[in-house]
Amino acid sequence: MAKPKELLEDKPGKEILLLANEAIARGVLEAGVRLVALYPGTPSSEIGNNLTFMAPHIPNFYFEFSTNEKVALEVAGAAAVAGVRSMMVCKGPGLNVAADPFFSLAYVGVRGGMVIVVADDPSMWSSQNENDSRYYALMGNMPMMEPADPIESKSMLLEAYKFSEELELPVLFRTTTRVNHTRAPVKFGEILPRPDKIEFEKEPFRFVPVPAVARTRHPWLLGQIEKARKLSEKSPLNFTEGKGDLGIITSGVSYDYVIEATSSMEIEAEVLKLGITHPVPEKMITDFLSRHKQVLIVEELEPYLETHARRLAHLNKVSVEILGKEQGIFSRTYEYSPRIVMDALKAVTTRNTPINWEEIDKKTKELPELPPRPPLLCAGCPHRATYYAIRAATRGKAIYPSDIGCYTLSIAPPLETADILFDMGSSITTACGLAEVTDQDIVATIGDSTFFASGLPGIANAVYNQHRICVIVLDNRTTAMTGHQPHPGTGVTGMQKHVPPLDIAEVCKGLGIRYVKTVKPFESMAGLVAEVREMVKWTRENHSPSVLVSIEPCALLTAAERQRTGESPPKYYVDSEICNACKRCLNRLSCPAMYMNPETEQAVIDETLCNLCGTCVSVCPQGAIKQEDT
Amino acid sequence: MSRINSNTVNIAITGVGGQGVLSLAEILAKAALESGFNVRVGEIHGMAQRGGHVVCTVRIGENARGPIVDPGSAHLLVGFEPIETLREIQLVKQDGCVLMSSHVQHPVAVSMGKAEYPNHKEIIKNIRNYTDRIIEFDALELAKKAGSSRALNMVMLGAIIGTGLVPVTKETAIDVVRTSFPKRFEQINVAATKFGLEKAQACKK
Repeated sequence: MAKPKELLEDKPGKEILLLANEAIARGVLEAGVRLVALYPGTPSSEIGNNLTFMAPHIPNFYFEFSTNEKVALEVAGAAAVAGVRSMMVCKGPGLNVAADPFFSLAYVGVRGGMVIVVADDPSMWSSQNENDSRYYALMGNMPMMEPADPIESKSMLLEAYKFSEELELPVLFRTTTRVNHTRAPVKFGEILPRPDKIEFEKEPFRFVPVPAVARTRHPWLLGQIEKARKLSEKSPLNFTEGKGDLGIITSGVSYDYVIEATSSMEIEAEVLKLGITHPVPEKMITDFLSRHKQVLIVEELEPYLETHARRLAHLNKVSVEILGKEQGIFSRTYEYSPRIVMDALKAVTTRNTPINWEEIDKKTKELPELPPRPPLLCAGCPHRATYYAIRAATRGKAIYPSDIGCYTLSIAPPLETADILFDMGSSITTACGLAEVTDQDIVATIGDSTFFASGLPGIANAVYNQHRICVIVLDNRTTAMTGHQPHPGTGVTGMQKHVPPLDIAEVCKGLGIRYVKTVKPFESMAGLVAEVREMVKWTRENHSPSVLVSIEPCALLTAAERQRTGESPPKYYVDSEICNACKRCLNRLSCPAMYMNPETEQAVIDETLCNLCGTCVSVCPQGAIKQEDT
Repeated sequence: MSRINSNTVNIAITGVGGQGVLSLAEILAKAALESGFNVRVGEIHGMAQRGGHVVCTVRIGENARGPIVDPGSAHLLVGFEPIETLREIQLVKQDGCVLMSSHVQHPVAVSMGKAEYPNHKEIIKNIRNYTDRIIEFDALELAKKAGSSRALNMVMLGAIIGTGLVPVTKETAIDVVRTSFPKRFEQINVAATKFGLEKAQACKK
C-alpha cells in the first residue's frame, strides 16, 4: 500500500491510520531529523521500509540500511555528535549488537538531538529471546521514553528530541511489538526543515573517551541524569488519572490494558502512567505510593518499575503494599492482555471479571487437537531446495549450525537442518567451535544479509584459525524475513540509489577461503547434491573452510515480479496415471503447495499456492510431476 | 458488557499467512475510520507470517484503546479456513457471530500423514459449542469467480459488511477498496467485495 507517499504529505491536521512504526517514520520528518541509520529487525522493520522510500523526496535527509546495528549506532551517533538530529532503530537483540557504542555514546553525549528506537518483543513473535531493553537505560545512564500506542509514538518522539538536546544525551525510545504493530488514527503535524551540511567542530577531549577523558565524563553523565530526573518530575509525559483507593503504576501498552480493565470491572483506581521510564520521577512515584495503601505495578517482562517502586518505598519509609511480580500476581514472561490485568485485579480486589474465562478455558481444553500450522518456508522458497540437497548429501548426519533469518524454519521436519543458533552470524562461529571438539562434518547455513551483518568476522576467524567447516550462503538477494530490505549484496542503498553490489563469493576469496563455488538451487537437484558432497569431502581432506553460495531470489520477490509483468512459467501438476502414491514429495519437501488427495492418497499441487520452483519434479522417483506444455 | 466495551465492536480475523489477513484488517479499519469511527488494528508480522497460523484484530468504537481482543470478546470471528477458525473459536463472544470460508488449506502436517484434518461436521459441532450464529461459504470459489484467488480477503471484507455487525456501509467499503490497490486489480477486488457481501446477506436469511 502506498504509505511512504502518504507519510510525506505536508498536511498538518490530517488524520490517517498508521502503524506505530509508520508514525515513527512520519515523526522523523516532523522532527527535522537529518540522518537515520538502521539494520532491519521485526518488530521495528516498517520504520526503515517507509523511510527508504521517503528519503529521496526529503531535502537534506540521509537514510541508510547499515550493515548491522553496531554500525548503524556509530553512523547515527557521529551525526548527532556533529550537531544534527539523528536516529538509530533496532529490535531488542539488535541493541545487544550495538551495546559497545551505546555505552560510550552516553559518556561523550551529543550536540544534535538523538533517539535510539529499540523494539522489544514480549512473547517472542519474531525474536530469539524476550530480553528487556529497559535495563540498558539503567546500565548506560541514558534517558528512556516508552510510548503506549501509535499516537504517542509520534508525539512522544518529538518530545524525545527536545529532551535529548536539553540534556545533550541520546534518548532510548523503547517500544514493544503490540505498540509497533498496532494501527490507530494519527494526526499529522508541521514538518520541520533540516539543515544542509554543517561544519564539524573539534572537541577531542569530549568525544574521544581515552581514560583521562572518560573519567571526567562519567560524573558529567550522572549529573545529566539528575537533571533529567528533574525534567521527568515535571514532564506531562508522566501523569496520573482517575481516583480511588487502589493505585496502579504502569507504562507502555500495559497502560491501555489497565484503562480497559479498570473500566470493564468498574474499579475505582488512580493510575500513574509513566512515559519517561528512566530516570523515573522519584518524587512523583514516592508521593503516589504515599497516597495509597495498595499499589499494583503493571508492566510486561521484568519487574523494572516494580523494583524502582520498592526501592523508593524503602528509601522514603513509605508504608504501602506494592503488588506485582514479586508475589506472582504478574508473570515475567510473555506479553500481557486486558484479561491478564483483569485477572490480577480480581485477585487484588475480589471484584469479578466481566467474562467468565474459566468456563471458556475449560471448553477450549475440550476441543479436539487440531493439526498444527507453524510458520514454514514458503512454497517456491529456494532454501527448501538447498536444504533438501544438504540433507541428501550428508544423509542428515552432519551438524547444521543455523542463523537468523527465514531459513531457521528448516528446524522443522522433514528438513531438520538447524541444530544450533545463538545470534546473527553465529552459524559460522559456532561451526568453528564445533569443528574443534567433534569429528562430525559441519555444514553451516547463513543468509546473504546476515552474512554481511555478522558473518564476515566469522569467515576471517575460520580462515585464519583453519577451521574445517562448510559454509553455505543462502543468497536470496534480499533481507527476506523482515520485509525485503536491501543489503550490500543487492546493489540498492537506503536512499534507493543503484550502486555496485558486493559479491559474496569474491568477498570470501578475498578473505582467504580457498574453496568458493556458486550454484543455482533450482537448476539441477542432482548437481546441487553433488556440489554439497564435494565441498564436504574437500573440507575434510584439506582441513580448511569452504564456501558455497546458493543464489536464487526469494520466492516472494519472484511471485511479485510475475504479478507485475503478468508473465509466468507453465504450471506444474501431478500426473495421476504415473503417481504411485509413494508420498516421497510430501514427506521430504513439506511444500505448503502440495497436499494428499485423501481418496487416492496421491499428491496434488494446489496451483493457487504453487510458486513454480519445480523442486518437486526432481524429488519424484516416478517422474510423475510434470510441467504443462507451453 | 460494561462501560468501556459497550460501544466497541471487536473483530478477530484468522487464517493462514499469505491469505491476505493483514490487508483485510487494514482496509476494514480504514473504512471504519472513513466512516468517522475510532479504530485499532492489532497485527503480528515477521516469523509469525510465513505460511503459519495468523490472527489479526480490528476494534471499532470510541473506547477501543489497545489492540487485543481477549477470549470471549469478539463480536465477529472471521476465519479464512475451517481449522484456523476453530483454532481461535475461544475468542468469540457468547452469541457472537462466526464468518467462515469453508475452503480447506491442507497443513503440511496433514500432507505428511502426521496429523488428520478433522471432518467438517466435527468442526461445525465444535463451533456450535460457542455460538450458533455461523455464516459459512466457500470464499475461494467466489474470489476465483471475481477473477483471482488472491481476492479471497476482499470476499471476506464484503461478507463482514454483509453481516451488518460493523458500522461501515457497502459504499464506503468499496470506495476504500478502490483506493487501496493498484488500478488494474480494482475490478476484481470490487467484484469480490460485492460477491462476499451478497453471499453473507443471503446466508443470514
